[in-house]
Amino acid sequence: MANQAEATFEKQPMWSGGRSPFNVSYGKLMMWIFLLSDAFTFSSLLVQYGAQRFSNIETAVTTQWPDPASIFNHFPFMHGLHLPLLFVSVMTFILIVSSVTMVLAVEAGHRNSKKEVQKYMIYTILGGIAFLSCQAWEWATFIHEGARLDSNFFGITEQGYKHLESVSFGDHFEWQDGDRTWGPVPFAALFFIVTGFHGFHVFSGVVINVVVYIMTVRGVFERRGHYEMIEKAGLYWHFVDLVWVFVFTFFYLI
Amino acid sequence: MEFYTKPGDYDPINYVPHQASHGTKELWKTFWLLLGITILDFIIYFVMPASGLRNVIFIFFGIVKAYYIVGAFMHLKHEKINLALIILVPTVFIVGLVMGLLYEGNAISLMK
Repeated sequence: MANQAEATFEKQPMWSGGRSPFNVSYGKLMMWIFLLSDAFTFSSLLVQYGAQRFSNIETAVTTQWPDPASIFNHFPFMHGLHLPLLFVSVMTFILIVSSVTMVLAVEAGHRNSKKEVQKYMIYTILGGIAFLSCQAWEWATFIHEGARLDSNFFGITEQGYKHLESVSFGDHFEWQDGDRTWGPVPFAALFFIVTGFHGFHVFSGVVINVVVYIMTVRGVFERRGHYEMIEKAGLYWHFVDLVWVFVFTFFYLI
Repeated sequence: MEFYTKPGDYDPINYVPHQASHGTKELWKTFWLLLGITILDFIIYFVMPASGLRNVIFIFFGIVKAYYIVGAFMHLKHEKINLALIILVPTVFIVGLVMGLLYEGNAISLMK
């Protein structure tokens, strides 16, 4: 019966008012528009990163932009080992898993299954907290190694590159004197700004998810008759994952 | 769930179209795909020496991942095409901005 009514409604002219031309609710459309504007915010940061990086290609005067993956080569509980890219990949894995539990919560919401929504929301929140913890550890390690917002001690010298090339995955590695010099400042600064801004988004995503979880437990959506709020929170959460895909590509891989 | 058959019945603030569950098969498929590409990223980083081609592969993989996150997880593949377009078309211009500023950045580095 509902489908028949929906079909009648669909036949009305799209742009003459009295219906939703995109066939989505007001809240969901606004979430999409917000995400579009947020995409521009992150793009401007990434564009700046690209421009800064390309303006610091090695010349007689400027030092080379460091290879990021070989700088983020630490892993918790494996002190002093050269494990480039491993920890970031684990962080990416955590975010992908929490994305899939979020989308499972949305799917459970479509079936009006309150219990399953609760279960998957808890998993998603835990994933978000795990990611934030990883990021805190990574920042602490990076700062401990000498990275600052206003200076960058990761200008790797020729000796440093030889040293990096001589160690293979899993070997013991520590910076020697003369391996590093002052490098392009935007390297560390933009790392902190962009991953910090992304981490702030993850943090607000966790807060939104906790709020939505509490609303689910209290039966707000059950009374409302639909779980669309989970979908809106989910859109935001997936967007955070989407941004991380690009941060991972441009700040760690390349 | 209510649907309005007359335009006057439409309540723009509270209107929520009915969403049916499409099952979890597509979602798990997307999950394994994203995981596979991330592992592939990791392998390629160690197998291939740093080069422009490797960067192109990484960026291509990033775009593939973005397509699956936006399409399957954010459900944009199943939304109306005009909604998908107003969201996706503006982001295409970012690519042009990136190209332009990379070129300019390179020029600055040559003049430093």
